[in-house]
Amino acid sequence: MALTGRLGLLALLGAVVPIFLPSWWTMLAIWGVLLLGVLLDLALAGNVRALRFHRTGDTNVRLGQTAHVALIVENLGDRKVKARLRDVWPPSANATPDGSGDGRTVTINVPPGERRRVDMTLVPSRRGDRKAVTVTVRSVGPLGLAARQLSRAAPWTLRVLPAFPSRRHLPAKLARLRELTGQHVALIRGQGTEFDSLREYVDGDDVRSIDWRATARRADVVVRTWRPERDRRIYLVLDTGRTSAGRVGDIPRLDCSMDAALLLGALASRAGDRVDLLAYDRRVRARVEGASRTDLLPAMVQALAPIEPELIECDAAGMVSTLMSRVRQRCLVVLLTELNTAAIEEGLLPVLPQLTARHLLMIASVSDPRVDEMAAARGDLAAVYDAAAAERARAERRRLTAELRKYGVEVVDAPPDELAPALADAYLALKAGGRL
Amino acid sequence: MTDTISAPTQPSPAPAGDNGNGGGDTTARQVAQRRWRASRGIVLVIFATVLVAIILAALKPTVTPGYLDPTEPGRDGTRALAEVLKQRGTPVTVTRRAADAVSQSNPSSVLVITKPENLTPADVGRLRAASGDLLLVTPSRELLEALAPGVFPAAKSLEEVAEPGCSLPAATLAGRVDFGRSSETYELPSGAAGCYRADEFARVVQLPPTSAAGRTVTIIGSATPLTNENLTKEGNAALAMNLAGARSSVVWLIPDRPRAGSGGDKSLGDLIPFGVNLFFFQLAVAVVLIALWRARRLGPVVAEALPVAVRSAETVEGRARLYRAHHARERAAAALRAGAIERLVPLLGLPRSAAQDPAAAHEIVAAVARRTNAGEAAVGAALYGPEPADDAQLVGLTDFLDDLERQVRES
Repeated sequence: MALTGRLGLLALLGAVVPIFLPSWWTMLAIWGVLLLGVLLDLALAGNVRALRFHRTGDTNVRLGQTAHVALIVENLGDRKVKARLRDVWPPSANATPDGSGDGRTVTINVPPGERRRVDMTLVPSRRGDRKAVTVTVRSVGPLGLAARQLSRAAPWTLRVLPAFPSRRHLPAKLARLRELTGQHVALIRGQGTEFDSLREYVDGDDVRSIDWRATARRADVVVRTWRPERDRRIYLVLDTGRTSAGRVGDIPRLDCSMDAALLLGALASRAGDRVDLLAYDRRVRARVEGASRTDLLPAMVQALAPIEPELIECDAAGMVSTLMSRVRQRCLVVLLTELNTAAIEEGLLPVLPQLTARHLLMIASVSDPRVDEMAAARGDLAAVYDAAAAERARAERRRLTAELRKYGVEVVDAPPDELAPALADAYLALKAGGRL
Repeated sequence: MTDTISAPTQPSPAPAGDNGNGGGDTTARQVAQRRWRASRGIVLVIFATVLVAIILAALKPTVTPGYLDPTEPGRDGTRALAEVLKQRGTPVTVTRRAADAVSQSNPSSVLVITKPENLTPADVGRLRAASGDLLLVTPSRELLEALAPGVFPAAKSLEEVAEPGCSLPAATLAGRVDFGRSSETYELPSGAAGCYRADEFARVVQLPPTSAAGRTVTIIGSATPLTNENLTKEGNAALAMNLAGARSSVVWLIPDRPRAGSGGDKSLGDLIPFGVNLFFFQLAVAVVLIALWRARRLGPVVAEALPVAVRSAETVEGRARLYRAHHARERAAAALRAGAIERLVPLLGLPRSAAQDPAAAHEIVAAVARRTNAGEAAVGAALYGPEPADDAQLVGLTDFLDDLERQVRES
């Protein structure tokens, strides 16, 4: 039940009457009239209880794109229901019904036994799951004094996936990869290559690659060809601890890391490598393991969508032990974290030898263009002190990078929009060097 | 005026320089205009209310301080009547307190009671004891109950001039009388004489002397015929003379406004009419209903957990401010020098490790000096010199380091 402004206005006008007829009976009469109007309206308003709600539409949308979810209103009653309807979503879903005047509510008119469709347009502004809260309908009676109102759940979840803006780099990186593979159908055998096939010797082939055993079995001279190793394992590890919450520009570090991880995952799976994913702070936040080449990217995107940075220190020892227990064979571990001196020195460095003894580690980190901007600041005293602080931060980062490299760790440190291609390049370089 | 108000409501491709900002940002002026548009209705209503109040106050007839005062020669005074009565040998005594009026009245006097709104209930009680005839000028309800039982106020009459239409000698001798713009009329008891009637109610009522009090009480529903301004109109003077000068002397009571607190035992609540109390009660009911209307939302308020917004460079900026607050020139200079050396070393073709190596300092300085126009001493002071003595030197050092770096890069 809900009252209307008209009722308040009538009560206000009714206040004039007792000035001329000063009696309690007058008051009772006024109240009686108002009450009668309210009861009449409640009796004659559309029966909102007889409404049923169903939904249909998008369940996934990439951040920054528009999703459409339809709400179907079914009238099971025997009277027409004319009502104002509000489909309530969380604010960051930016849900607006089509054909709405105020951007929030819409008027529906459902005859008995029929259905009407309310189209919602959602432009989510944040990643994650957006759940429809409730549907509220209000049907005002014929006198406009009171209304029947009801809220009813109509569950629907819209998963907002990471935007993955760096996918535009994928064709270029795949071209590089093909070039690499073609180049390595070369005959050089070495670390990181594996046997591809036997073919007939042609002039110019290295005599060292002649397969004498196969030659002996056949009339021709046969050479072995090699190709970059396939079916290597790549383990992508996302640090979702406190350092991933910091914003570079207006984007959390974690989102940049996700973008880079998605590009690398897409690239490596096309290159024939097995890609696994782990998101970790003090416990496992998301894991994708053993996904096939075709459904790796959807699986990663779905796993990453609801992850938010946690404001706790990342447990590097726990992360390493989790990782070691999951993978036996040698693999490339790509750790997407922040090169924060305190966090790395106290957390990761003590357990680093364990990890590097078995695996190849690559650390990818987003650098903040604001620091470079501050380092270049000149002019007044404040700018000079800014520059000094920025130089100090950069020096610390350089020192940390150098220290990590001493352990044989590959470090990729790039601004947000260059991190994903830089990481892909580093992977391709490793592959070309046969170091996987 | 209308142009400037309507300008922001136009779509965005407004002519450049129209309101000083090309972008979609709202200016203070636009905000002010939006607020004005939103609130102008209320402002207009308030303005109209004040205007109506002023007009009503201006239209209301003013009561001058000397109203009906026999010593007042102004328009609303009654000095003319008092003078005429004196010339005719009827002395007029003016009193301003009810108690004095009672003591000065005698069986052969006429007590004229004016301005009854200034009489307290106690005064009305005292006036019962007055002797002689009474002339009540526009009496209040309480005064009528006390001194003229059986006479009740009826409707107001707007007719100005009236005929006597009765057998009362004072009225028939006076003839037509001008009662002014509005006058009270009275419902009379049986046996009373009613003159200058409007419908069945009379403007002038005379109660015959009763056996108990033995006096004549006359009531007149308008003070207009007595005033200086209107005394000469129609038969006003005659009526006034006949009523006030009926006996040998006149006691004219014109009570002062009673002092605060002397008005009796009525509280504010007693004075407010019942209907007004009910009005406010119903007003409260309406406010409650309006509150209920506004309180009921169409759907709940949705709370959403938002991620923290921590800028990544916050620690660096914080450290910069700490440096500045504590004038940490030494540390600032060291950081800037280390950064410059770090960038210079690869440009000079030296190994990267030389940057941290104090033994390589001389080599770096010499190499830089060779490739720039600065002397070795100046370069050495800039790269490895002492802490800057003041802020100006720090800024100068920064600029010099930049200059060295640029020269090395360009050489």
